[in-house]
Amino acid sequence: MNLKKLNQRVSAARRETEARGETFYPGPSRIHLAAFPPKERWDDWVELDSRAWPERKERRYMLVPTTCFNCESACGLLAYVDRESLQVQKFEGNPEHPGSRGRNCAKGPATLNQITDPDRILYPLKRAGKRGEGKWERVSWDEALDAIAARIRRAIVEERHNEVMYHVGRPGEDGFTERILAAWGVDGHNSHTNVCSSSSRAGYQYWMGLDRPSPDHANAKVIFLISSHLEAGHYFNPHAQRVIEAKADGAKLIVFDTRLSNTATHADYFVSPYPGSEPAIVLSIANYLIEHELYNADYVRRWWNWEEFMAGEYPERVTNFENFQKLLKELYAEYTFEFAARESGVDAKVIEEIARVVATAGTRFSSHNWRSASAGNSGGWQVTRTLFMLNALLGAVATEGGVFPNAWNKFVPKPIYSPPHPPRWNELTWPREYPLAMNELSFLLPHFLKEGRGKVDVYFTRVYNPVWTNPDGFSWVEVLNDESLINCYVALTPTWNETAYFADYILPMGHGSERHDVHSYETHDAQWIGFRQPVLRVARERLGEEITDTREINPGEVWEENEFWLELSWRIDPDGSLGIRQYVESKSKPGERLTVDEYYGYMFENSVPGLPERAAAEGLSPFEFMRRYGSFEVKKKVGAIYQESVPEEELEDARTDHFGRVFTKTPKPPTLNIVPVPSPDGDAEGRRLVGVKVDGETLRGFPTPSGRLEFYSRTLADWGWPEYIIPTYIRSHIHPDNLQDDETVLISTFRLPVQIHTRSANAKWLDEIAHTNSLWIHTSHAARLNVRTGDLVRVETEIGYFVVRAWVTEGIKPGIVACSHHMGRWKLKEGGQRQLMATVSLAHEGDRWGMKRESGVAPYESADADTLRIWWTDVGVHQNLTFPVHPDPISGMHCWHQAVRVTRADAGDAYGDISVDTEKAHEVYLKWIAQTRGADEFSPDRTRRPYWLLRPLKPSREVYRLPDRPELVGVE
Amino acid sequence: MELFRALAVFAEPPAPERAKVAAALGLGALPEASEYTGLFVFQLYPYASVYLGAEGMLGGEARDRVAGFWRALSLKTPPAEPDHLSVMLALYAHLAELETNETDDVRRESWRRARVAYLWEHLLSWLPAYLSKLTEIATPFYRHWGETLRDALREEAHAAGAPVQLSLHLREAAGLVDPRAGETAEFLRTLLSPARSGMILVRSDLSRAARTLSLGLRAGERRYVLESLFAQDARGVLGWLASEARGWRERHGSEPAALAGVARAWEAKAAAAAQLLEELKAAADAEAEIISG
Repeated sequence: MNLKKLNQRVSAARRETEARGETFYPGPSRIHLAAFPPKERWDDWVELDSRAWPERKERRYMLVPTTCFNCESACGLLAYVDRESLQVQKFEGNPEHPGSRGRNCAKGPATLNQITDPDRILYPLKRAGKRGEGKWERVSWDEALDAIAARIRRAIVEERHNEVMYHVGRPGEDGFTERILAAWGVDGHNSHTNVCSSSSRAGYQYWMGLDRPSPDHANAKVIFLISSHLEAGHYFNPHAQRVIEAKADGAKLIVFDTRLSNTATHADYFVSPYPGSEPAIVLSIANYLIEHELYNADYVRRWWNWEEFMAGEYPERVTNFENFQKLLKELYAEYTFEFAARESGVDAKVIEEIARVVATAGTRFSSHNWRSASAGNSGGWQVTRTLFMLNALLGAVATEGGVFPNAWNKFVPKPIYSPPHPPRWNELTWPREYPLAMNELSFLLPHFLKEGRGKVDVYFTRVYNPVWTNPDGFSWVEVLNDESLINCYVALTPTWNETAYFADYILPMGHGSERHDVHSYETHDAQWIGFRQPVLRVARERLGEEITDTREINPGEVWEENEFWLELSWRIDPDGSLGIRQYVESKSKPGERLTVDEYYGYMFENSVPGLPERAAAEGLSPFEFMRRYGSFEVKKKVGAIYQESVPEEELEDARTDHFGRVFTKTPKPPTLNIVPVPSPDGDAEGRRLVGVKVDGETLRGFPTPSGRLEFYSRTLADWGWPEYIIPTYIRSHIHPDNLQDDETVLISTFRLPVQIHTRSANAKWLDEIAHTNSLWIHTSHAARLNVRTGDLVRVETEIGYFVVRAWVTEGIKPGIVACSHHMGRWKLKEGGQRQLMATVSLAHEGDRWGMKRESGVAPYESADADTLRIWWTDVGVHQNLTFPVHPDPISGMHCWHQAVRVTRADAGDAYGDISVDTEKAHEVYLKWIAQTRGADEFSPDRTRRPYWLLRPLKPSREVYRLPDRPELVGVE
Repeated sequence: MELFRALAVFAEPPAPERAKVAAALGLGALPEASEYTGLFVFQLYPYASVYLGAEGMLGGEARDRVAGFWRALSLKTPPAEPDHLSVMLALYAHLAELETNETDDVRRESWRRARVAYLWEHLLSWLPAYLSKLTEIATPFYRHWGETLRDALREEAHAAGAPVQLSLHLREAAGLVDPRAGETAEFLRTLLSPARSGMILVRSDLSRAARTLSLGLRAGERRYVLESLFAQDARGVLGWLASEARGWRERHGSEPAALAGVARAWEAKAAAAAQLLEELKAAADAEAEIISG
């Protein structure tokens, strides 16, 4: 055939195939290891059964998408459901998912281990003995639901709303449970964030109002990570693949990490600073840009709140940009490379070279920190505040290759009901000492309860294990053992954990492929939603079955949380008299409880722009589309929203103030994306802040009080922290000046790349790869202590010690030691979780606690033949037990780094030994809380907290008012 | 240039979803996966670097040159294996599309020049020889595919006109290492490097050599096989190789006129190889005579 004709024939075939919604070119496979089954064959996909080799036996699958639940990235998974057995055979990546694009880390496919885990909890359990005795009886869901609902109902009726508390780890969803609590009228949301990312959030918030970054790594020219982001950081999989793309395109990668992490090995510039000195280095880079006028001056002039700064702090100087530039030079002149070198131990020449690289980035500068240094140090929030300052200097904010605020790269669809936030304030989670805390002071709860600040009647934990995850776990054990402080404890968990052991009810909840959630994350400059779904339910519905309750298809009586919360709320208020039922009632069938199908059906139909049209093009309803593909990209390339003009119709009776803030009488237009955004104050006449005047134009600006990027925080000035009004360097609690001669620093905030805090315990593939945590110790340090790899060392903290094995390495800064927090799981009895938990015994006398390891793990017989192949015995040491709480006086974040003494273990020490004095732990708590500047004394307006700041549940303004001061008696 | 994108699909394993493309190309039923493996995994590795690199191996400078082409044109990040035949053909199709869709005359001309440069520099610099071998040894499906690709490339070459300069790969490539002056191991290595020997020796060629010379064939990589053949009968193997090189000299010489420049460069390499091998054979024969005499 003539080649021209052949060419035309191929083109015609392609057009016809694609018009049918099918795939003509299946995409590269051999080349990129990314052969995805074409979507038109997801209902009946054939693969050869590898175990039948050499026989060519075909297996037929239905491919059902869901969202991974093993970290917060919400990557897409594709479950291969065997059409004969109707069981999941494996999980692979979902190529239709815009965030992960079909690529997953080890944790995604390991979901298979979790759903087939022979040790998982399959039925609701009720405590049968004393608290913590480990005796359980199986109960029905009805019995558990009725008992818990009755208790909550009583608390609500008796106006004891603040005694109901829900404590969550990483939520893995966007606001469903907050709305349930709001429906109850309970200010009982308690998150883990203050042991996680609060510090980092604070730094971003003081600049942008929004508290998370969304770096566009893929398009950056220079990438600056203060993290181990390529292997383990937050959103590491979606981000890592984009960082590597940028690197392949010639981007330079700068990594700060005291340890030589896997990420560091990929860096063009890697420095190992003294822990806590990171802001000093970053400020010296900022100083270099300022001093040599290498920053984007026009951007700074337009977008920084420099006028407010000069007027507020330097009224004696004429407010103009030239004077601000001079002032900026003065303010940062002290941060020389030599100063940074002295603080960090990094050579000044290396820092200078990095500064030169940063200066070349222009607006293609992506930076990121989420935990590591910010989570380790007091004042750690200056890590992100100074890091983002580089973006703000370069103008690399919401640019291609720059950093976006998260809310612009995230889509949270408006649900069927939006109950108002509760009209009350819970001081157990939002105490007056911390008016600026980023999140609930969750990890101080045991101390608050011991101090008699209140009690908890019903305490839920969900994907959370405070005894193990939080610092000072024995103080948690003490309050959990005291039924007068925590009356009823309900653990919602798919597997056994250290805290659940002290529960009154254990309610088994589904893993990532056994539940519904909608989730969106800021993985790049786009907006998408991911739909987590019970894949066996979807598979059986495709085969024509009708399933109305996820328990029908989950193993045992495992449920999903959406249905659980709807049902519990229904039972709390069966007749609707409490006003709760209205938020969990079907709209299509009044009088019946809302189903998940209706809940998500409504959301996808009404709240996701473009989804109904896209679904219709394939002849599907929006709900069917999400069931089929598991994700939807709402928008690509969102761009710089703050630079957009405010349309004239939104400027009714508008006023502009002295600093260019524009206020309007036009009410806020309704939005379908309800992603939380801060709410800066309006003007005295009731107008709301709508934008800022920049060079004569009214632009959207940022959700900050000034509407601009806040180099200067009026909030910090007003609330009693004048020393921190601009980005600065705060010497950490573990700064050399604060250490004794024989003390060193322990870094405890890093992960093992394939593990997932407490979620991954019974994922056998992951456990085989990573199951222990040694103490990283530098060769020179080890020589001084006469310690070799494998030797036992004792690490003494402020409140006790732990005994662990040393790992001698050149991969850490000399003199600093490090131990991952991901290991050291334990249980008090044989049985339960058997792949990654040591069996221990506890000794307890007064305030003294001791833990001894009785046995490690061993092979055991189960339905899974692999459990007989367990070859490891060591599962690490639980160091967090020996850490006292270190709440940062501003962000409220627990500052994880520890000042410790490291010695060779004593003759009587055994591996895994732990000793703690909880009285000392309480003393340390008192020492830290004394550093706060509480609302009672420092609030500028007699409120509990600046109203504009984010808060997961946000009561109305009146509730923010502090109670009136007690009358002063006996004063003349 | 849809045709090249469609043809690109078949340098990858024949998964069932590729049937539509095969049908559109008139290639008939998809081959067995074993045919793909036999051809591309055991015999003719579909990577430009193997045929253009001085080492005759995957990757290295030859691969970097293809990646460099992506970078020079500021296309997106080059893929991990830019010199894989599928990727290379898909890029050609992409460049042709950029050219067709360009409305600005100046820019269209620059896309055309880029496409033509790519065609001569990176495709025609090795594919005529590669496809010549492929159509010789492939099963019917892949033979038909190879012929279609060969014809399409010839047509492109004809339309593009002869290049101003020969591909850098070909200009720079040295010839065989003379074992009399250097290492025998190096000599064997360069024999298996097409850019230096002017011939493509695949596994089945070495089996043929063993059969022809009645030698034992040891299983292993090509260099190991060649070494063991030499160890058994160096003179015989030299003679066989010389005749292979002469065969390749003729093969290159018979390429159509549009490919004359490239073919001459390959022909010269094969001729030089043939000459060296003949000299070595003669020297070995003489030595054997002395010993036996």
